[in-house]
Amino acid sequence: MYNRRSGNDWPTLPNTVCYVSFQTMPNGLDDQEKLLAEAVGAARKQAFQMNHFLDKERMLDALKCASTMLSELRTSMLSPKSYYELYMAVTNELCHLELYLSEKSHKETDLYELVQYSHTIAPRLYLLITVGIVYIKNDSTLKRSILKDLVEMCRGVQHPLRGLFLRNYLLQCTRNILPDVLVAENEHEGNVYDAIDFVLTNFAEMNKLWVRMQHQGHSSEKTRREKEREELKILVGTNLVRLSQLESATLETYKRLILPGILEQVVSCRDAIAQEYLMECIIQVFPDEFHLQTLDPFLKSCAQLETGVNVKNIIISLIERLAAYNQRSGKTSGNAIDAIIPAEVELFEVFSVQVANIVQTRTDMPLEDTISLQVALLSLAQKVYPDRVDYVDKVLGTTAQILDRMNMNNISHLLSVNQELSRLLRICIDFYNNALTIIQLLNFCPLLEKFDYTSRKSLALYMVMNILENETQVPTAEQADSLLTIITPLIKDDDSSTAATTNSADAEEFAEEQGVVARFIHLLRSDEPDMQYKMLQTARKHLGNGGGQRLKHVLPPLVFAAYQLAFKYKAIAEQDENWDKKCQKIVQYCHSTISALAKADLPDLALRLYLQGALVIGEIRYTNHETVAYEFMTQAFSLYEDEISDSKAQLAAITLIMSTFEQMSCFGEENAEPLRTNCALAASKLLKKPDQCRGVVACAALFWSGKQNGEEMRDEKRTLDCLKKGARIASQCLDTGVQVQLYVELLNHYLFYFERGNSLITVAMLNQLIAKVNEELPNLEPSEETKQIESHYKNTLAHLRSRMESNDTTLEVSFAGITLN
Amino acid sequence: MASRKKSLLKVIILGDSSVGKTSLMNQYVNKRFSNQYKATIGADFCTKEVVVNDRVVTMQIWDTAGQERFQSLGVAFYRGADCCVLVYDVTAPNSFKNLDSWRDEFLIQASPRDPEHFPFVVLGNKVDLDNRQVSTRRAQQWCQSKNDIPYYETSAKEGINVEMAFQTIAKNALEQETEAELINDFPDQIRLNSDNNRPGNTDNCQC
Repeated sequence: MYNRRSGNDWPTLPNTVCYVSFQTMPNGLDDQEKLLAEAVGAARKQAFQMNHFLDKERMLDALKCASTMLSELRTSMLSPKSYYELYMAVTNELCHLELYLSEKSHKETDLYELVQYSHTIAPRLYLLITVGIVYIKNDSTLKRSILKDLVEMCRGVQHPLRGLFLRNYLLQCTRNILPDVLVAENEHEGNVYDAIDFVLTNFAEMNKLWVRMQHQGHSSEKTRREKEREELKILVGTNLVRLSQLESATLETYKRLILPGILEQVVSCRDAIAQEYLMECIIQVFPDEFHLQTLDPFLKSCAQLETGVNVKNIIISLIERLAAYNQRSGKTSGNAIDAIIPAEVELFEVFSVQVANIVQTRTDMPLEDTISLQVALLSLAQKVYPDRVDYVDKVLGTTAQILDRMNMNNISHLLSVNQELSRLLRICIDFYNNALTIIQLLNFCPLLEKFDYTSRKSLALYMVMNILENETQVPTAEQADSLLTIITPLIKDDDSSTAATTNSADAEEFAEEQGVVARFIHLLRSDEPDMQYKMLQTARKHLGNGGGQRLKHVLPPLVFAAYQLAFKYKAIAEQDENWDKKCQKIVQYCHSTISALAKADLPDLALRLYLQGALVIGEIRYTNHETVAYEFMTQAFSLYEDEISDSKAQLAAITLIMSTFEQMSCFGEENAEPLRTNCALAASKLLKKPDQCRGVVACAALFWSGKQNGEEMRDEKRTLDCLKKGARIASQCLDTGVQVQLYVELLNHYLFYFERGNSLITVAMLNQLIAKVNEELPNLEPSEETKQIESHYKNTLAHLRSRMESNDTTLEVSFAGITLN
Repeated sequence: MASRKKSLLKVIILGDSSVGKTSLMNQYVNKRFSNQYKATIGADFCTKEVVVNDRVVTMQIWDTAGQERFQSLGVAFYRGADCCVLVYDVTAPNSFKNLDSWRDEFLIQASPRDPEHFPFVVLGNKVDLDNRQVSTRRAQQWCQSKNDIPYYETSAKEGINVEMAFQTIAKNALEQETEAELINDFPDQIRLNSDNNRPGNTDNCQC
């Protein structure tokens, strides 16, 4: 018995329900299932009988059943996917028939003639192919003529769906027997050129059938038709797979016969769907080695495709494939990257020229697609030639030219082309992760200038963030200049922009942006002090025009960087004889920068920077430093007097001034005295009594630890005077809570100087203060503030107690006689 | 009967793109290997005659596209398979992870009669490369957890284990086929004239 597979691989039949009404949803899913099941069922019946007759060796009857089975494929009711299922089922049976026939090798009967009696053409041709293959397998000298005959005979079916599947069957059956030798032993066996002819002919015919589908039926069904064509595409593409499987087809053959043959058909069919798919197919099924040698003809054909074809995707797909090839081969072979793509293939140049050509010919291409092509070119350059900055620059240049030609300027961030353009620049930034390389790209800035302010700003931010992430140090003034030019949108307002928005979300975002710029300024760092100075000057020039809102963020880092630089000069004083003059210059630079802040209505900030400067100058001690330090102090004073009016800010400011002055030792008495007096005066002139009290008490430090001729003053009397004055002011406070608080603070101050040995401070004075607090504190109303005062006082007493109980002989003073309660 | 018995076995090769499905088949059928990468689109088969348990059988090996976009007509060719070969690339962990979904997809689409015992074979390909990422142990564990799927580590390039793997494939496919044959399924009863009621070839095209 001939062993066969019968029914187990059919799709299962749904239960046929007889009362289902007819004519619902003619093309619905259920309907398709039903139709398919019926067709498969009928075919299965015939297959069963065919096999039965084969067992009985009743060839004619078997062929008749086969023909009837095959006539199921004549249906017009099935969708491509359902038809495919039916086709798979039927051709599976044909495989059994083929096996049977090749085993039997019916030499006596001429099957090839016999099957042609089948009365409809599709079944006839399926059988003809099946028998033809058997013939070829038995006698390979028939190969050439039978293949030629079959591929021609299939022209008999011009119904697109049936024709496509019939030819797919032909293609499938001939897979193992296509002649794949350069020269055949017997010319009738054919050679690889016959195989190429055969497949190219089949391909052309299938493509025609496939394209024709587009133009059949009602125009309202266009979408459905296109979906069906989309499903059927792999049948056409399989021809290309078959060509790529021919081992004897060399690169030379591919160049001369195969690719031109395919491209001719693709270009001439003038059908967008076919063109797009087949070009993609060529890229996928043929090896990279072939693509590399045929870029020109392939890309030239791209320029000739229909307007509806998305050429961009085709090119991008090719570029991606070649770039991946480069990386894959580089990985497995371990060679240097540039060795993989043969040197004679000037990949970038070829793509560059051909893409330009495509852009020029395809005037209908949307601008964003043109830009996408440039993006693809750019990534090609980066992936294959990572060292060639000039290639990248060339792409940017070309892009700028394209925009120039179209007179595109101030490109709005709302346009889709803007996104592609931004991508182009971002890819550059991401790829190098080094802003210094970016500024080597001469066309980067010109391209950037084509954007509108908003997008320039977001690109600038992107760039600065990249610099920060990579901690890219900027070592020269020239580079700093270039970078600051690129990030101009962050540094100053757009010339044309209207009123700045000032809601709080924006303000927060703005502050964040400026913080980023400030962090960037710290990366302007050269090991050469002179260069560093130049860089600071450059930065100052760029940053000076941003308006107060920006200055407050970006100028302080400059000032601090300058102070650091001054210290650096001081450190190398022995190597650089001009260090003194250079320090003077730096201080001048700082002075003018700070006064710019003061002018921008930022007195608090300017005051602090002046004080910081005074400290730095005092430390560095270059020629003339005392006068300049004095100048800085007076600047701080006049800001205090003229600009700072809020009482809290005043107290904070004067405290800062005093503590700065207290630390400085560079002043001679001639300069120190007026500063000291002014501090005391300013403190006593504070508006609110508590402020006055605290200011005056703080002043005591000036007379104690403040410097005079380099030594601490230790002026016991004037120190005590300050404390006494403080106590007097405290006594004038009406609010008991505040008063008690001040007394506790005063007690601490008295104690501080007492412990350090101010002999004018007596135990009696301490006792008096303690008694005052003890008397008032219990009367305070309980509140959060009271609690704080109590705990402050408790801690103070605890400190006192520990001092009194201590046997420490190193203590300078005796705590005896202090009454705590 | 037994002496003349000849079978047709259908074997499907599945796996992610570029794990080496086509290369494995080429190595097995044609003893050839090429480093060139050519994507497969759609699905088609090669045949090879093999001797299993003293029987000559024709193995129909279906090479498939790993990329879904190249299967626009669906996977009707899964149906009737006697064995399914799952291939992954030992240097690509993702291709190993995806074996699960390939297996599930196959069982759903092919709907074999006894999914629990349907014969699979797993091949870990490209063992000739030195940047291996999926360990033998891990692969074996997975295979054990799926009802003891036979596992081979192969190199289509060097021809390592290819012959042996396909022998197992053929053997298991044949067992499956014999089993299936025992359930003799006749077609539905023949209804006379039932064909007359069927719509279908209603257009004027005579082909």
